[in-house]
Amino acid sequence: MNEKLNQYVNGVFAPYSGVKSVDELQADLLSDLQERFNELKKEGKDDETALEMTIDSIGDIEQTVQEVANLTRSLERQVLTNLSSSDLTNSDFAGVTAHKGKFAGSSLHGSDFSGADLTGSSFKSSDVREANFNNANLTDCTFSTLDLSNSSFNHSILVRTTFSKSSLAGVTFRDITMTDVKLTMTDLSKTTFENCTFDGVDFTNSSLEGLNLDHQTFIGVKFDKAGLKDVTFRGATLKNVSFKGPALSKRFYRAIKTICFDEARMDKLTYAALKGLEADLSKVTVI
Amino acid sequence: MSENKITSDLLRGHTDTMILRLLSEADRYGYEIVKLIAERSDGNYELKEATMYSSLRRLEADGDVEWYWGDGSQGGRRKYFKITEKGKETHANNISNWEYAKRVLEKLL
Repeated sequence: MNEKLNQYVNGVFAPYSGVKSVDELQADLLSDLQERFNELKKEGKDDETALEMTIDSIGDIEQTVQEVANLTRSLERQVLTNLSSSDLTNSDFAGVTAHKGKFAGSSLHGSDFSGADLTGSSFKSSDVREANFNNANLTDCTFSTLDLSNSSFNHSILVRTTFSKSSLAGVTFRDITMTDVKLTMTDLSKTTFENCTFDGVDFTNSSLEGLNLDHQTFIGVKFDKAGLKDVTFRGATLKNVSFKGPALSKRFYRAIKTICFDEARMDKLTYAALKGLEADLSKVTVI
Repeated sequence: MSENKITSDLLRGHTDTMILRLLSEADRYGYEIVKLIAERSDGNYELKEATMYSSLRRLEADGDVEWYWGDGSQGGRRKYFKITEKGKETHANNISNWEYAKRVLEKLL
């Protein structure tokens, strides 16, 4: 088995791993690619050329993965759980599967959702204080306009999860790879993020004041119009990260200068944009 | 493979039919399908793996193809795709649609 080929394919499929149909697609694809790679090697191509040609033969796989994931959703019978407007204080939902569950306007204070598969569920306007979402699958879930104070999301699966206009004080996000998550219009100044990778995450219009984002990875992340005073990115990795301010907002540009980027690593684009905003990049490594 | 690959939507739009044609001849596995399409088009059309699997999954959902595990050459099991009766009908329909479109286009282009 070619290790590099495997790594490449794993990388593409990582955000969707666990979706059965997608895992199957990954296995099918890998076996084809392996055969192509072996044939190219037999024709006398060196490893690098064979790998390049093999990867080139894949085409636009991200779109196919999306399609397959969507197709599955429409085929699989959905367990529709409607628990709207219910009093479920301190309920035990640990390990349950509730796809597209509706928890709108419910009281879920102190409830345990650890390890639950809540794909596609919505928690609008609910009381979800001190709830436990550790290890839960929260793909395509919506948490908007609700109180999540002191809840925990450690090791959870966050893909296209929306947290907007919510109270996230005292919430912890530990050891998570967030993909296309929306954390917009939200006060995150009392939220904890530790050992996370932020891929395509949107922090537009949120307040991150004083937040410690040290040693974490940010790819394609938006901090547009966000409150960034005294945020620290010590030793963090930033690629293709956007810091766009509202036009003529002196406050935004002043805040940029207070961000700590010591020992951070960033790509040229992010570096150039931040330099234009006069951020302190004296201890930054460009990658 | 040739330098001037035709990657136009014109060909890609017929991926389902190309796959149904290959499966109407014999059951085949994924890599075999892309390889045969490259060979039979003399390298002029290279079907990407992503496009093929997107098409196969759709055909499967529509009940035009099925699959089963067959024996692989190098130890691993191979997934073989097989056309269904409904798939044969779809293929025949697509062909007659294409014949019709071709006649009209020849007058218009």
